[in-house]
Parts: sequence; C-alpha cells; structure tokens
Amino acid sequence: MITLLNILILLIVPFLMIGVIKKTKAFWAGRKGVSIWQPLWDFLRLMKKDAVVSKTTTWVFRAAPVLGFTSVVFAALFVPLAAGKAIIDIPFAFIIFSYILGFGKFFSLIAALDTGSSFEGMGASREACFTTIVEPAFFILMASAAALSGSFSFASFKMILENAGPYGILIIALAVVTLFIMLLTECSRVPVDDPTTHLELTMIHEVMILDNSGVDLGLITWGAAIKMFLLCSLIAALVIPASLGAWVSIAVFLVIIFLLAVIIGTVESSMARFRMSHVFEFVFVMSLTSMLILALVTYRIYGG
Amino acid sequence: MEIYFLALGTLLAGALLSVIVKDSLKLKVCSLFSFLSAVMLFLPAAAVILTDTPLRADVYMSPLLGNVSFIIDPLSAFFVIVISFMSFLGMLYANGYMKPYLDKGMNTASHCLFLMFLIASMIMVVTVQNALFFLIVWEIMSLSSFFLVIFEGEKKEVLSAGIKYLVYMHLSVIFIIAAFVLLNIHSTSLTFDDFAASVQGNAFLSNLVFFLAFVGFGIKAGFVPFHNWLPDAHPAAPTHVSAVMSGVMIKTGIYGILRMLYITGTPGKGISYLVLVIAVISALYGVLYAITQHDIKRLLAYHSIENIGIIGIGIGIGMLGLAYHHPIVALLGFTGGILHILNHSIFKELLFFAAGSAYMKTKTRNIELLGGLGKAMPYTALMFIIGSVAICGLPPFNGFISEFMIYAGMFLGIPHSDISLFLTLVFAIAALALVGTMAILCFTKASGIMFLGEPRSAAAAEVKDDVSRIMIIPMAILAFLCFFIGMFPQYFAGFVIAPASLFVNGESAMPVFRSIVSMCENLSWFFLIFLVFTAMVFLLRILLKKKIASHTTWGCGYDKANNHMQYTASSYASPFISTLKPLFKRVSHIKKPKDLFPKDAYYEQEIEDIEEAYIVKPLIKWDEKILSKFERIQSGNIQQYILYGLVFLVLAIIGMIWLG
Repeated sequence: MITLLNILILLIVPFLMIGVIKKTKAFWAGRKGVSIWQPLWDFLRLMKKDAVVSKTTTWVFRAAPVLGFTSVVFAALFVPLAAGKAIIDIPFAFIIFSYILGFGKFFSLIAALDTGSSFEGMGASREACFTTIVEPAFFILMASAAALSGSFSFASFKMILENAGPYGILIIALAVVTLFIMLLTECSRVPVDDPTTHLELTMIHEVMILDNSGVDLGLITWGAAIKMFLLCSLIAALVIPASLGAWVSIAVFLVIIFLLAVIIGTVESSMARFRMSHVFEFVFVMSLTSMLILALVTYRIYGG
Repeated sequence: MEIYFLALGTLLAGALLSVIVKDSLKLKVCSLFSFLSAVMLFLPAAAVILTDTPLRADVYMSPLLGNVSFIIDPLSAFFVIVISFMSFLGMLYANGYMKPYLDKGMNTASHCLFLMFLIASMIMVVTVQNALFFLIVWEIMSLSSFFLVIFEGEKKEVLSAGIKYLVYMHLSVIFIIAAFVLLNIHSTSLTFDDFAASVQGNAFLSNLVFFLAFVGFGIKAGFVPFHNWLPDAHPAAPTHVSAVMSGVMIKTGIYGILRMLYITGTPGKGISYLVLVIAVISALYGVLYAITQHDIKRLLAYHSIENIGIIGIGIGIGMLGLAYHHPIVALLGFTGGILHILNHSIFKELLFFAAGSAYMKTKTRNIELLGGLGKAMPYTALMFIIGSVAICGLPPFNGFISEFMIYAGMFLGIPHSDISLFLTLVFAIAALALVGTMAILCFTKASGIMFLGEPRSAAAAEVKDDVSRIMIIPMAILAFLCFFIGMFPQYFAGFVIAPASLFVNGESAMPVFRSIVSMCENLSWFFLIFLVFTAMVFLLRILLKKKIASHTTWGCGYDKANNHMQYTASSYASPFISTLKPLFKRVSHIKKPKDLFPKDAYYEQEIEDIEEAYIVKPLIKWDEKILSKFERIQSGNIQQYILYGLVFLVLAIIGMIWLG
C-alpha cells in the first residue's frame, strides 16, 4: 500500500516541487507566477516535440539522457520516501544509490563532451569537479550515522536522535546542512549554479544539456526533478521522528518536501550565484559539517 | 598436477617453436600455445577452487635446490587462472598490434620468446613453494619483462624507462631476499611451509618479515612511494606488453604480499594500519596524478597505481579484520581485494587495448591531439567507454562489485571498533569515495576527449576505419567479462572466496560466505531490474517515433565553430587541478616572443610527480655524490677488477672463518 503510494508520489511530486520553487520565486519577485503544474505541462509538451541532434555527436549523446533518467529512477528505489520506507530496503543501499547516480552522471558528462562545444565541456568539467567534493562528505555522514545506530541502511537516519544523546539535535542540524548543500550542488541551484541564467558561461548543469531537445530534454528535466526530490526525501528522513503513525508521517513528509521547495525558492530569490572560485569554498562547507558530525559522533561513542 | 607441468612445457615449446618459424607466424604460434596452456591450467586450477583441495608436486631440481615443491592452493589457482587467461588475450591482441612493426621488418623473435618466458615465469612465481627457486623465476619474470619493455629500444626514452624499471625491480628483489634470508636463518629451510611453521608465535619476526616483503613486493605492485617506474615503463612498452604488465604482472607483487601474509600468519595491528594507510595514499595519489596526464598510457599507468591502492585497501581491511578478530570484516576485505585483482586485470587490459588501438591508428598517445575517433572507430570507442565505466567502479559493471565488498567490510567494521580503527575506517571510506569520483573525472576526460567531439588534429581526422578483428575480439571478450561479472557477481563470489578464506578461519567465515553470496544475488536482481527498465525507456523513445533533425552543435547562434574551439583535456581537468594546487609541481617551458616580428614562441606546462621531484631525484643526486668518490678505483682495467674480486673472496673467507 505504502509502496504504491510512494511510486505515485515519485511520479508526481518532483514536478510539483519544481512548480513550488517557481511559485516562491515569483512571490518574492512580486509576480503572480505560473501554475505549480506548469513544469509537468512543460514536460508533456517536450515529449511531443521532435529533436535536433548535432552532427558532431555519436550514440553516446543519444543514450545519455535515457541512462541518466533510468539511473535516477533506479536510485529512487533505495531512498526512504513517505512513511520512511524505501521501495527496496536493504543494507548498504546508499552505496548503490550513490554509485548508480554516478553511472548516470558519467554518461551525461561524456555526452556533454560529445557535442564538441566548449560551453558544454566547461559545464561537464565543473560538474565533475564538484562531485569529487560532494561524495566523500556524503560517505562520512553515512559512516557517522552507521556508527551511531549500528544500522547500514538509510534507516540509520531515524536512529540518530535516540542514540546521540545530548548531541542528537546538533548532529541532525549539521546533517541537514550537509545534505542541503549536497542538494544545492547536485541539483544545480543558486548559489552554486543558476538554472535560469541567460549566460552560458556561468552555468554548470544547464550548460551541459544545451544541445538536448525534445524527448531527451524532457527525460533530463524529469530526472533532475526526481533527483532533487530524492535529496529532499533524505533530509525529510533525517528530521521526521520514527514514532509517528504511518499517515501522519506521510503528511509530514509531504509538508517537509514542499517546505524545502519554498526554502530553495527563497534562497534563490534572496541571493545571487557565487563566483565560480567561491563555489568551491561553499561546497567545501559540506566537508566541514560532515567532519563536525564525525567529531561529535566520535566524542559521543568514545569520549568520556 | 602433471597437467600443470604439461602446460609449462607447452609454453616453453611454444617459445622455442616461435624462434624457428618465420616472422609472420611467430605470434600465431605463441597465441596458440598460450591458449593451450591456459586451457590446461584452467582445469586443475578450477578444480582446486571448487573442491578446496590443494594440488602438490615435488620435483628434484639440483643438489643446491633439492626438492622443489609446486603447490596449487586456492590462492595460487586464482592467480594461475588470471595470469594464463589474461596473458593469452594479450597475445591475441598482439597479432594485430604488431602487424605494422612486422611490416616494417622488425625482428620479433626475441619479443615472442620473452613473452612466453614472462607467462611461464609468472605462473611459476605463483605456484612455487621454495624461496630460492621463487627468486630465480621472479628474476626471470623481471628480466623478460624488461626486454619486452625495451622492444623499441632505439628510442632514448624507451631505453631509459626500461633501465629505470630494471633498477626498481632489483631494489624490490633486495627487500624480498632480505625477508627470505631472515626466514631461512630462522627455519634453516627454504620451503614456505617451514617458514610458516618457524615464525609462528614470534610476533616481532613475522612483523619484520612481512614489512620487508611488503616493501619488496610493493615495489613490484606499484604502491606509493615505490610507484615511480610504472608511469615510465607503461608508455615505453608496446601496448599488449603494458596491458599484460599492468593487468597481470604487477599483481604478482600482490600475490607475494598475500603469500607472505599467509606465511607470517595473523598480522599485528601496527602493520595492518601501515598497509591500509599506504594503500589509501596509493589510491589517492594514483588517481590524482592520472587526472593531470595527457599521455593516455601514462594516465592508465597512474590508474594502475590507484587500483593497486584499492586492492591494497581490501587487503588492509582484511588484515585489520584479522588483527581485531572480526572475521566478517576480514573476509569481506580479502574477498573484495582479491576480486578487484581479477576485475582490474580485466578492465585495465581492456583500456590498454582500446588505447593501443587508437595509438595504432593515430600514432600519438597525446589525448590533446585526438578527438572524434568514436565515429571512425565505433567498436574501440565502445570498448573504451565500457572499460572506463567499469574502472570507475560504477554499476552494473565489475568494478562496482569489488568496491562494494570493500565498502561493506569497512562499514561492518565500524561498530564495536576502538577509536583509532573507527577513525581509520571512516577516512578510508571517504578516501574510497573520493577515489571513485576522481576516477569519474579522469575517465570522462579520457573517453570524452579521445573518442568524442571533433578531431583535434590531422592525425585524428585522417582515421578512416576501426582496427582489425583480431584486435576487437580480445577487447569484446574483456568488455563482456566486465559486464558479466557486474551482472552476475554471485558466480564469481565463490571463485574468490576460496582464496580469501585461506586467511580467515573457515568455520566462523561460513555464514559470512553465505551472506556475501546472497548479497551478490540481490545485486544481480537489482541490476536486472535496472537493465529491463532502461531497455523499456529506450523502446518507449523509439515508439514515440520522433523526427530527428541534424544540425551543427549549438554555439549561441554561431555555427562556424571549429575543432580548436573545443574544450581540451587540460581545460577539463583545470578547475580540479587548480583547487589542489599545492599537491602538484608545475614545470613550465616558455619561449617568449622576441623582436618586432616574433617568429616562434610557445608556452608549455607539465606536471611533475612530486614524489619523483622531491624524493627520488634528491636521493639520486645524493647517491651520485657519494658514489663519485669511488670513481678512482674504476680504472677500466680488467685485471684490476679480477683482483678486486679475488680480494673480496679472500676477505669473505677470512670473515667466515673468523665468525665460525
């Protein structure tokens, strides 16, 4: 039952999230804004369109959007969604989660190089570089959670609070910050990247897909939306207590997801994108917070 | 066991036969005989792994050596299969790769001979149980690979790389001999069994011996800081030789480490930490420098260092598991490490073959001059991309399985550990994650710049067709293996658990064994779901029947972009390298424009290995300074040298009498 509901949520909520972000940005800009269903309509419109493909490209360029999309959907099977349940709940799911996303990313990077455009090469180069900072921090977070809870799946997030004693709230707050920076980086949001800018030179993810069109572009946008939804779900898994009843928990989950969308929209409205050299420093904050978590966990387990 | 000697005989017969047949047949003869020996070796080795009963044979060699015993236990059997099969594929590839050299009329007789010697000596290295005979075949292996490296010895850089390799190999032998001599003094025997019996309970000796052996075999394997020969030797050697060396031969170093671990028994905590730390440093260092390289074979050589590091992390975790009495952690570490040996030999050969094919067609190893090869060489490009995905450890390919096991071992070690183990494990986990993502950066660079986009030079633009079938076939076999092991790891888990369980107490490991296999079965199902789902989406896209128009790449309205406007390998790696500036030593070569009408000017920047720049070179300088003092005794007069020898002998005899 909950699994079915989760699949339904997985299909619809990602687009709604993007819609809520757009609506929030419109609100802060004093505009009325488009309907929150607009991203879904955009997607459906893209699915009807024909595509233009560069003469320079090979099969890689055509395969990458599909592989990127399917890898994100596959990764979604392992993430705890509503009611804290993942569709497939096994130990070490986060390793599969992280590496299958890497698989999709690998192909989107070489597809960008496949076009022979320096814009897209530039985007790919930045994307590859930021990933190297994100992943280790994520794994340190997972290792710390595993140490606290003795559990090796995402379920360990639920047990942080009861096992961490006086530091529980602090650790969860730091973990939320870590995952939020990961979200901003991986999903190319302000202040790491500006998805709506008109200047290709300043973009990261958006510039990699300049040449995609039609169905391929549709799959990429859907994949990107699901990826953002997954990272929001991870944050939700951190903050929702395990003691809630199933239906309350689902309601709280949805509230948190949309709250995060509002926060992302507010962040985007209130600040500008960082200069590229500062982006590194910003993403490094994630390593710092995960190290702090590790320090607190070490102190909790071995100290005093 | 007879079949083992028959296989060795086949290899040597092939070597001798290749000398007498005419040039165009030499490699074919070698391929045939190495195939036969691979089949012959596979049968007993597979039987050993499946039944878990070692084979043994004693052969009387000479009065000095006495009876030399050859044993195929699960560890040896694993290595025998990897060595014989991978070497055969290398030989097969050589048939196509050596053709231009044969057409030029180069003599390949010695090349074929040494290739066969290399295979035979590697197989003996992993089976022989006698220290002295081990050293003999070890030396044959090093020397034959030296002659293979200097195949194009008329080029200065090839020869100097070869000599560097030779020097490193002999440094390696010194440490191995030291370890064996210690064991020999203690046990007054030369067999590994007696070694093992004699060090039991002697923690100091076993740690010391293991440390010496780790340094010695580590030089062969290419652990940092002993890795320096690798990035020079691989580009110098012909491609199939670098593939066999990188894919198989450096693994004999790992074999040596594992064998010495088996001899010295349960390791101490200190030495286990040391192995893990060195391995983590190797993995990080290797991939870090791989990112900076533009010579594809140098890049792959640095990746060998990285992967040896990952194998070492597996072994280090296994050793820590033993030292802390966590059989689960130990078994997962060893299983992951040993499986990664197999995996690395598969995808590294695949990558070397594909890179060699590109080199054969374009005559350049500099990836900045390549690009767009994917159109003219679709199969090679596909193979390189599959190899790249596999080496990055991405599912559903084989690299993921071994890394997954190593991760699992590390995570399972986290609860119930003391603080130092806990922090070490967490940082090793972070390091492995970092290595994985840096590998993605490096291999998207390599495959994207080499095979995709537009040609960056005339050499790349002139390529019209793919390489011959004889070169594609070995690549296809390897690519299939990458995929097959990734998809169905449960069949291979059993294959590597047999050697891994040599190190871990059998009974406590059995439930773990079952859980590893069931974990692999789960992975297999998940990846099947992934494949079916991906196929469905592809099908859906085809069924949507959208028109595809063809146009130039989007350039903000500008459609006269040329190939020099593409992103290059340097620019691709630049944000990453500039973030980690202090870790690299940049060497710039500048010729500034002069006069009113400047003619030639250039700026070139390369990144030097800091270990070489700050450790090896100063050491050599210091060495030269001291040794130059001895120049005066070097007269060039043979009689004088004989006198030195005589004096040394007399002194040695006096010394022996004096010491009793």
